Amino acid sequence: MGGDDDEAMKKILQTIDLEMVYTMGKVSVFALRGVNLAIEEREFVSIMGPSGCGKSTLLHIIGGMLTPTGGGVWVDGEDITRLDDARRTDLRRRKIGFVFQRFNLFPTLTVEGNLRLAQRIFTDGARHRGGEAEHARREEVLALLGLRDKAKHKPMELSGGEQQRVAIARAIINHPSILLADEPTGNLDSENSQMVLNLLRDLNRDQGQTIAMITHNPDAAAVSGRIIRMQDGHIVAG
Amino acid sequence: MQHLIVANIKERPIRALTSVAGVAVGVVLILVTVGLARGILRDTAQREKNVGAELIFQSSSGFGPGVSGPLMSLPLAYCERLSRIAGVQSVTPVGRYLRSGAGGIGFEFIEGVSDRAGPGYVAYAEITRVSVVEGHPIAADDEIMIDHRLAKDRKWAPGSAVELFDRRFRVAGIYEPEMGSRTKMRLSVLQELLVARGKCSYILVKCVDPNEQDIVARRILEDLPGNAVARTSDIPNFYDQGIPSLNIFLRVVVGLATVISALVILLAMYTTVTERTREIGILKSMGASKRFIVAVIEKEALYLSSIGLATGIGAAMLVQELISRFTSLIVEFEVKWMLISALVSLLGGILGALYPALRAARYDAAKALMEE
Repeated sequence: MGGDDDEAMKKILQTIDLEMVYTMGKVSVFALRGVNLAIEEREFVSIMGPSGCGKSTLLHIIGGMLTPTGGGVWVDGEDITRLDDARRTDLRRRKIGFVFQRFNLFPTLTVEGNLRLAQRIFTDGARHRGGEAEHARREEVLALLGLRDKAKHKPMELSGGEQQRVAIARAIINHPSILLADEPTGNLDSENSQMVLNLLRDLNRDQGQTIAMITHNPDAAAVSGRIIRMQDGHIVAG
Repeated sequence: MQHLIVANIKERPIRALTSVAGVAVGVVLILVTVGLARGILRDTAQREKNVGAELIFQSSSGFGPGVSGPLMSLPLAYCERLSRIAGVQSVTPVGRYLRSGAGGIGFEFIEGVSDRAGPGYVAYAEITRVSVVEGHPIAADDEIMIDHRLAKDRKWAPGSAVELFDRRFRVAGIYEPEMGSRTKMRLSVLQELLVARGKCSYILVKCVDPNEQDIVARRILEDLPGNAVARTSDIPNFYDQGIPSLNIFLRVVVGLATVISALVILLAMYTTVTERTREIGILKSMGASKRFIVAVIEKEALYLSSIGLATGIGAAMLVQELISRFTSLIVEFEVKWMLISALVSLLGGILGALYPALRAARYDAAKALMEE
């Protein structure tokens, strides 16, 4: 999967007949009902749909944080549904970057500290291996996201838009194959929302970053190259 | 990882301080208890070396300079038999009673000594050369004599009234040099108080020629088998080896300190893991392995334990200073016990953090992220 295609058309993400059923007592709730999805390298895809349509479940499954009850998920050629928890975590570490609606930054760490932590996790705790290269990468990402002068600030000292930019910086610092964004503008005002969306668009256009973004906002979805619509656990368009 | 750990500790100063204090208590418990026991024993041993006799005769059951042996169980009749052995110049019986120290800290001995010669033995002063430098020697059953250190610590002087065994005694005099226990009364009085008429704890033996003490000791054992003889110069070694029952007690203290450290860290880390469920979810979403998460929590526990260890050592030194300033007790720190307390606090920290760390590592990432 994925790797068999032409380089220009390389699939970074593919799901086949993806199913997710939550069982609560004697009740079974179908969150995903056979989702087939493919996202190619350098694509910027929005996944839209009403609340409860299965968007977040889909994002958590393709991010390796939930195990589906049926079907398969390939991330950069690896079927994550066949991996055990440790190897799935390893894949997430190497290939996936997450951006959340609530930013999810570490409040006790500075902006730079949050980025360093991501780098440390990427090396699985190994210290100062390629310390200069890591430092240079931090500088590069901070400059890219316009956060150079905020490096020593803690998240609580930043605006919502700035915090989300830090979250994006943290997500891309280790060159993930795909960036998964879960309602990245959900907690922002319109001005900051637009700034974050422009940033994601620029990352996709200029850096070739593959992005899958969940949103319920059509204006946000409009910055992406393709819009996938979901309803009742199905993909209904895109 | 280090910056995350330091930031977490700084973020929750009260929790950090409580953990540090808990570990420190364990360290103080070990160092002060052991130090007090060792210090008192060493001090006692040094004083017992000064008794002027070369040999000490005791029943064989539990030789250990009278401390652990059966108290006041040796018949005085042995004095006559000992005094007849070739090479023995004179003997004197000593009774001994062990009781808890002033204010319940440590322990102290009270000795019963003979103030006059009896069948086969001489007066205690004749062998030990003890002399009263203030007041007068014991002349009545309700009189005791004490050494300078005790007089200074308790602010006692000749004529002071003292309560011992629920009985009122009076300080007759202050003796020199320091030897044996700091408080001495008539042997006959101690026998009566302990219901041990005709008994003593051990007998001091003075040799005609101190250079022949080993030969004399051999003769004693040949003539009086089933008993024990030791050189008074070896008494410090006996104390250094420890007393069996005391060693058990010290092991209990070490075990208790380990449990305290482990429980304090367990509670602190369990709380922190519960509070930081969402943060652990974030770490997992970033691809942090179970090993990484366990390492973060274990390292935080190690940091807290290390600070607790340093604080505990500092506090123990302060306690040592206070005890030596305000009491006659000696607290003696040994490198061995410092290492043991370090091991105990760090091991306690690691063990205490293990369950919270493993629990955190097993969190479901998606669920953890939903935590408020």
